[in-house]
Amino acid sequence: MTLFSIDAAAISLIFAGVTSGTLGSSGASARMYDELQFTFGEGPCLDSVASRNPVLVADLANANDVRWPAYSPAMLEHQIRGIFAIPVVLAGEYVGALDLFRTKPGELHADHLAGAIVAAELAGIPLLDLMDSDLQAAVNEPDSDAWAELNALSRTEVSQATGMLVAQLGVEPAEALVRLRAHAYATSRSATDVARDILDRRLRLDAD
Amino acid sequence: MTDTPRETRVLDAVVSLVDKLLDDFDVVDLLTELTERCADLLDIAAAGFLLADPLGQLRLLAATSTQTRELELFQLQADEGPCVECYATGEQVSVADLGTATSRWPGFVPAALELGVASVHAVPMRAAGIVLGSLGLFGTRPGELSEADLLVGQTLAHIACVALLQEHPPTPSTVIPQLRSALTHRVVVEQAKGFLRERLDISVDEAFSLLRRYARVHRDHLTDVARQLMTEPSSRPALLERMTELAHD
Repeated sequence: MTLFSIDAAAISLIFAGVTSGTLGSSGASARMYDELQFTFGEGPCLDSVASRNPVLVADLANANDVRWPAYSPAMLEHQIRGIFAIPVVLAGEYVGALDLFRTKPGELHADHLAGAIVAAELAGIPLLDLMDSDLQAAVNEPDSDAWAELNALSRTEVSQATGMLVAQLGVEPAEALVRLRAHAYATSRSATDVARDILDRRLRLDAD
Repeated sequence: MTDTPRETRVLDAVVSLVDKLLDDFDVVDLLTELTERCADLLDIAAAGFLLADPLGQLRLLAATSTQTRELELFQLQADEGPCVECYATGEQVSVADLGTATSRWPGFVPAALELGVASVHAVPMRAAGIVLGSLGLFGTRPGELSEADLLVGQTLAHIACVALLQEHPPTPSTVIPQLRSALTHRVVVEQAKGFLRERLDISVDEAFSLLRRYARVHRDHLTDVARQLMTEPSSRPALLERMTELAHD
């Protein structure tokens, strides 16, 4: 985690406000820092999803910025001073956050923030995989390219078809996108082609 | 005066000012430049921004000149005058010959005439449905400002409002999240089009028109309507019903 002069990082998911938890982390301590938010019911991930914006705290010890009455003191006890949370967005939904922890106080450098945002953007793809375990094999293929996939899934037709699937299947947008993507994999077609068929009513996906 | 057409000089001023807004800028410096551009483009002697303080009293924020004589012009308007009237009504004020307005502003007019002012104009600064203050324009010769002149003045006053309300100049830390947020808004709007296409059996284009119309009628933001439709299943039935009604109007 030397990339962002960061000491620990974790990705946590708050999906539909119901399920929540730490999905991935740089180590046991990162996982613990992250999970403490869910113990206390407050923290950077929750705030960044609620505000749909990054939450950047340069120094938790700053007495003028007491953000989390329970979470901040707990983190200070673990020698964490800086906390930065970048929301993770999936099919337009703010589903979680990439949380970065630092033992030294100070602002996150602009380049590092830009890097963290890219990382949060890319984190959407593994989240999609987690939501559909059948896809693990496909994703583990050596030629799978998260960037290319991100681009493909952000096409207009894919978003519109996702909306149609929400109406057809009675599921939330993120799950609708998972279904569209799974169909594309299963039929060896591009997400855009599948999306066009759905939009033109040549294809309907079955409800579970 | 140069031979460059005024349209070109106006556009040049707007581009240069907006360019500054997109970088690190100082608000007083920028507003001072705005008043200088005003004086130049409208061929008037003095221009200044008066901003209402929390008590509704107008205070001078920036002006073309720091000469006491001209500053006095703006500060004269504690209780009455073109800027005060413009601020109170939210409407443009234009007096081509100040000598005829003595009964309108009995305190301001004699003092302003003494300072060599012959014509006065004021355009409102507005944001969020409220009047923030006004831009005062003062000439040393009697004369009307044309519609085009007033439009130029109003444009520069709008830029001043944006500068004032943009509390912090943009930095990479604020720009990147905003761009990301804008792209996310678009994703949700596209989803909403697809959703309506399926539910109301209309084309994607018709769905977009309907969303925009609905947002306008309900004085709501397009992206907020789309987000509500896509992420709040509980409010969907009522929202769909109102949209169906609107589609059949």
